[in-house]
Amino acid sequence: MLYNIHFSIDVDVAMPVEDKSKSLLPFLLSPKLLPKESEAEFQSGLQSLLSELDNPSPLAVALVSQLNECLWWIRRHTADKEPLLHEAMARLLSKAGSYGETYDNRKVSEALEHYLDGSADKDEAEWIEDILTESKLTLSDLRVRAFKDAARHIKMVDDLIHRQHQTIRHLQRSIDSIDYKSRLIKRMDLELAALESKQSVKGVLSLDDKPS
Amino acid sequence: MTINHHRSLTNRHNALKSTGPRSVAGKRASSQNSRKHGLNSAPDFESSSEYRALVDLIVEEGFSAFACADIAAGLLNYRRVMDAYYDTYTGPEPVDEFLRDVNVKVSNPIFSELLSPSGSEPQDVREMAAFFASMQSQERRKGGPISRRSADTHKLIRYQRNGIARLSRAVRQG
Repeated sequence: MLYNIHFSIDVDVAMPVEDKSKSLLPFLLSPKLLPKESEAEFQSGLQSLLSELDNPSPLAVALVSQLNECLWWIRRHTADKEPLLHEAMARLLSKAGSYGETYDNRKVSEALEHYLDGSADKDEAEWIEDILTESKLTLSDLRVRAFKDAARHIKMVDDLIHRQHQTIRHLQRSIDSIDYKSRLIKRMDLELAALESKQSVKGVLSLDDKPS
Repeated sequence: MTINHHRSLTNRHNALKSTGPRSVAGKRASSQNSRKHGLNSAPDFESSSEYRALVDLIVEEGFSAFACADIAAGLLNYRRVMDAYYDTYTGPEPVDEFLRDVNVKVSNPIFSELLSPSGSEPQDVREMAAFFASMQSQERRKGGPISRRSADTHKLIRYQRNGIARLSRAVRQG
């Protein structure tokens, strides 16, 4: 096999559709999550989307699962924006050393992260404030400059979010199309049944009309 | 200047002299070095068991055999793209911290020692320093891990666009 798929589908061909839908669950409902993400939250999002559909077919379930994944990606990409800015802030601070020397980027990054979320110890806070003084910047100045530096990457993240929105639109149209198709088939079945019953009644009547 | 700093510069300098792998296995391995996500290779969905299972499942929803084949291939192709998307997002190109943080000017004595222990031409040292400076500038431009993963994932946008368009078309025309 030339490609690598990270899910497995265990479907018995002879199963009824309902059972097959259930057997698709490992493929549909085993998301690839990041270490700090909650699978329960992912599943609850999926269930709430599925609850909006009236008796979804396995294909509809598969598409809704992709849609839920897109929503999850939007969350991830949105959460990336602030760390992107912090990364740029740390980069600017690490270059603030005198005589062309640079501070250790990783240490600055860690100390700044603690400083910004208020968990920095006294030494870290003093160090960050010293570097800010050395570079003649306030925290808000630094943020503005960092935004300018990180603008290219923030734009990329916005593009990624936009792509997920477009994908969701495609998936919604596909789900609507499946729903419409199933309704159409149901309606045609009903019309066919009505025609058949009419025909059979006519048949009975015509048999009754026959002269003995 | 630390020994590590000297060692790292020496290793990088020696690596520049490399003429590449010589054995067949080495060449085969290095031929995959530039492979990023494998999304440009043609997938063989039809021979997979997942494909057959999906076709069999979709056919019961009233789609024609052709439409089922298209939808199943579209769905597997979309999953392939999204798996690559996840892998790229979770495993971006690592930051070369040494190259990013090294002070090229301070490293000039090491460059002269490496280029010719008996005393090298100043021009050679300048060229070597310029080369390292340009590599460093490229490395810094790529930014930190989050910038890298955004940039790497951004490259997969067109694959996702094509993947979802194919799937959506297959479902709506089916």
